[in-house]
Amino acid sequence: MAAQSCSQFHVFSAEEIEFIAEDELIEIVPNMRMDQLNLIRGDFGPFLPQIATEVPLWLAVALKKRGKCRIRPPEWMSVEKLTQVLEAERDSEKEFQVLPFHYVEISRLLFDHAQDDIPDIYMVRSLMEDIRDVRFHKVETSLETFDGRTSAVQAFQKLGNMVPETDSVPSTRPQGTDKAARGRRILRGR
Amino acid sequence: MKVRTLKLREAHKPASNGSPSFCSVLWDQQAHHLVTASSSDSAISIHDSLLPSQAPKILRHHRDGVTALAISPNSTCLASGSVDHSVKLYKFPSGEFETNITRFTLPIRALAFNKSGTMLAAAGDDEGIKLINTIDGSIARVLKGHKGSVIGLAFDPNGEYLASVDSMGTVIYWELQLGTTLHMLRGVAPNTGTDCSVMNVLSWSPDGEMLAVPGLRNDVVMYDRDTAEKLFSLRGDHLQPVCFLSWSPNGKYMATSSLDRQVLIWDVEKKQDIDRQKFDESICSMAWKPIGNALGVIDAMGKYGIWESVIPSSMKSPTEGISNSQSKNSNGLVFFEEEEKEEEPGPSGSLSDVGEDSFGESPPSRKRLRKQSVTEEFWEDDDAFEEISLPSKLKAQKTAATKHKEGPDKVKECVRNVTSLERPKMQDAFQPGSTPAQPGKRRFLCYNMVGSITTIEHEGYSHIEVDFHDTGRGPRVPSMTDHFGFTMASLNENGSVFANPCKGEKSLSTLMYRPFCTWANNSEWSMRFEGEEVKAVALGTGWVAAITSLHFLRIFTEGGLQRHVLSLDGPVVTASGFRDQLAIVSHASDCLPSNDQVLEYRVFNISNSTQLLKGRLPLSPGSHLTWLGFSEEGLLSFYDSKGVLRVFTSQFGGSWVPLFSSNKAKKSDENHWVVGLNAGNFFCITCKKPDLFPQVMPKPILSILDFSFPLASSDLGADTLENEFMLNSMRLSQILEQMEEMTRAGLDASSLDDDAYSIETAQDKCILRLIASCCNSDKLVRATELVKLLSFANSVRGAIKLVTALKLPNLAERFNTILEERLLKEKGEKDATVTVNAKTDKYTARDVLGSKASPAPIIPSASPHLSAPPLVKKAKLQDAAAPDKDNGVKVDAEDVNKSGEVNNDKLVEAKKAGKDAAEAKSKTHRPFNPFSKTKDDHEKGKSVAGAENQPLQRPSNPFLKSKIK
Repeated sequence: MAAQSCSQFHVFSAEEIEFIAEDELIEIVPNMRMDQLNLIRGDFGPFLPQIATEVPLWLAVALKKRGKCRIRPPEWMSVEKLTQVLEAERDSEKEFQVLPFHYVEISRLLFDHAQDDIPDIYMVRSLMEDIRDVRFHKVETSLETFDGRTSAVQAFQKLGNMVPETDSVPSTRPQGTDKAARGRRILRGR
Repeated sequence: MKVRTLKLREAHKPASNGSPSFCSVLWDQQAHHLVTASSSDSAISIHDSLLPSQAPKILRHHRDGVTALAISPNSTCLASGSVDHSVKLYKFPSGEFETNITRFTLPIRALAFNKSGTMLAAAGDDEGIKLINTIDGSIARVLKGHKGSVIGLAFDPNGEYLASVDSMGTVIYWELQLGTTLHMLRGVAPNTGTDCSVMNVLSWSPDGEMLAVPGLRNDVVMYDRDTAEKLFSLRGDHLQPVCFLSWSPNGKYMATSSLDRQVLIWDVEKKQDIDRQKFDESICSMAWKPIGNALGVIDAMGKYGIWESVIPSSMKSPTEGISNSQSKNSNGLVFFEEEEKEEEPGPSGSLSDVGEDSFGESPPSRKRLRKQSVTEEFWEDDDAFEEISLPSKLKAQKTAATKHKEGPDKVKECVRNVTSLERPKMQDAFQPGSTPAQPGKRRFLCYNMVGSITTIEHEGYSHIEVDFHDTGRGPRVPSMTDHFGFTMASLNENGSVFANPCKGEKSLSTLMYRPFCTWANNSEWSMRFEGEEVKAVALGTGWVAAITSLHFLRIFTEGGLQRHVLSLDGPVVTASGFRDQLAIVSHASDCLPSNDQVLEYRVFNISNSTQLLKGRLPLSPGSHLTWLGFSEEGLLSFYDSKGVLRVFTSQFGGSWVPLFSSNKAKKSDENHWVVGLNAGNFFCITCKKPDLFPQVMPKPILSILDFSFPLASSDLGADTLENEFMLNSMRLSQILEQMEEMTRAGLDASSLDDDAYSIETAQDKCILRLIASCCNSDKLVRATELVKLLSFANSVRGAIKLVTALKLPNLAERFNTILEERLLKEKGEKDATVTVNAKTDKYTARDVLGSKASPAPIIPSASPHLSAPPLVKKAKLQDAAAPDKDNGVKVDAEDVNKSGEVNNDKLVEAKKAGKDAAEAKSKTHRPFNPFSKTKDDHEKGKSVAGAENQPLQRPSNPFLKSKIK
């Protein structure tokens, strides 16, 4: 895939991560009739109007852009579920709650392309941001505890359910040390 | 809101273990006495409200706790029900024991007098509510219908209905004249389970217009008197379910007590709580003082008290306006009031003993405290007297009053309503795929596999939208403003049809057709019907059908030409169109007493003007039709309210096959709303229970469900296989029939060949797996029967190998005989055909002879072994069987002989051979047949056969292999 490991501290760019995330499966409700699609990674469809089927996110977005389907937001993207996750995230200091690995990218893609398919989109969006902030904070604090004596791996292992937050960190965030970057790489390589 | 404390005094000893008990409190009509009882105490106390310090009168007649109290409206008679199963009557206020009016087999939980005091309703843990005539103690009626113990009873003040609630929260409205259930509201009140200290109660408003029932959300819900529709709810600060409620005498206020130990006072009109009181224990029972502004309360520990001046003085008194409202209700009472004014000082009370008693006891000063209260007393006395002595006269007056109040129309409506509900109702006409009207919400007029038509009413007219599921194909239809108020619609690829019922005299029933794409302008048309009402519409290729209230079936062409008018047998239920076919379901007769609808279906071919089918529609017992339609292949099917989908089959002279049952589906908490079906699946919208139909928003999503026969649970334990087997044989018979039809019509049926072939292979695989599971569970006869059903000779060979591998030489031998018989038969028939063909058709003869020289094609026979009649075109497929006919048998025999030797090896061999055979078959003859699939299925079959202990895959018998390939 897009990951060419050119430098020692290479991390995926946002675009690359998005590209990878686009392979996640998502449910759509097509409004057209189409035969099965035989793709490299597998067969999708056949597509029948009003009958839900699972396709990769990129295909869902492509169909959505053409007005050929509705995207059903994943279960974890409901206000109810996200509220639960946020609460649990705030309560437990050491652990991350279970969300899909690419939750940031998936939600971003859906917010961009399928606004009309997500109920309570503002609420969902703000909850997602809150969750992200809480998780960043957790990563940050754990990175602070990390000094020369402990290895990056140990530092990250302190956090249960390691998450991909670090890679989504925009460059506006102060870049960590080399070790932090390595830590990120370890995270990503999970 | 100030919180006051109310001092309670002990009236009854709490239960010895300190657990809460159910206590009751009552006022008499003159508010002189307060009666209390507790379910943990066998005594009933009659407290004098004027002299609270005086010791109460104690009635000890029950042998166990008293659970229910009721006082007759004229306060002459007190009834008590107890855990000791008896209901006793006492004189009041003397408290003299009168009689044991009835006995139950289980504890009593609720008692209620009717307005005139002539009838006492008693109920409890027993099945059935007893209606007892208080005069002679005879049981007038037993009302059965509650599943749990009945814990609340209330007579309608107007004497028409009785409402009851049970411990499971079900509320039933009973019609008293007929003793029938009028409405049943399941699970509307909290489920109190077995806790006997909690009673649900329900209470009619004093004017009888609504029924108050504790709701599920710590609220009180009001239901309409006649329709049992939810009117509104009083929801506020109760933190736990409401356990008791009481209307103020004028119906303006309501007191509710909840398990959270609060008592709230509500202004019912404003739906607002106006006061509250917290107690140490939850209040079990409350009673408004009939005169004045006070509330008698008793808690679960048997402590009672009187809450004085409940309603703030700034607001209207809880008794204010009773006489006014009552006089409005009844003309007769106005008369009495006038009369009473005339002879006010006169002893109107002396008309009845009771009145005399009570007047004798009450000091005159109290009686004349206020003018109003005196009026009330007089009124009540007169009323009570009147009701007891002259019930018939009063009744007449009352009816007159109701009529006067509601107008003749409504009365008539009520009567009609009652009569229609007393027996099972014939179902109304409906459109398949429509949802009922909901105020303020969009609803489906039609939802099918093509698209949907939705409507929403808005200020007198409706907006109709037509959407296609496949937005790419269907044309974009502009939304329409509908001034007719269409309630019926149907949709297909070419157009949509709408119809409305007639509303009053002005608007006639109209039928309108809108084509989606035509070359001409203004090609939509409409028809109006005078003195006739459209009941159902249907749409097909090039025709529109409307069935009307005169039982006419009217057929129009797409352009609006009136083509046919036919008379139908009975009132229509629904209709559905598909291409040339029109299916109509109508009532054949009134419902059966068992609540079964008697429906009849008929299918017309519109273009040929023929009737294809006719017969009775087999509904599930006690259900009604909810959907009717055609499958994508044109098979008629319907769905009933019990969740069973049935499809028509021409087998057995035209029968219906149940292909799905909603209750047997995996998820029991879902209702299925059928939309359409095809040969193998059906499409439905799943609705979470208790919803029966989908909403327009959010857009419903179709789910595909597989057919499943309602098979008995077999000792084989291979339900899915058996289901598949049944389905395959059904589909095969459908296809064969279709082919037959096509050949009869002189069409080329070869396109169906491939379908038939693939089903046959699938069926053989399925049978082989069934044989394996039969062998595993030692059902050898069944296995033999299954072998006879195999379509291909090669499959039989596979079966032989399978049983050999499973070490069943007996069975293998039997299978061999079957195979030999079969081959012989086929050969004989083939020869016969050849000679016949040679005579009749030279070309065919040559063809057949030519093939006979090499591997001879076998013309299949309708041999008795084969349930599935083989195909004419199957000859080709049988090629494979022909060359190794003899050898195959020999080899199999060898296998059988050797079977004793090395089992594991044999197993592999058998498997492999079977697989090879199937592969060879599909490879050589049907290259397009998905190869991988065959293999997969065979591997599955293998695992079913129980070849877990498989050793290395060794090349099988080389002889065999070479022969097959």
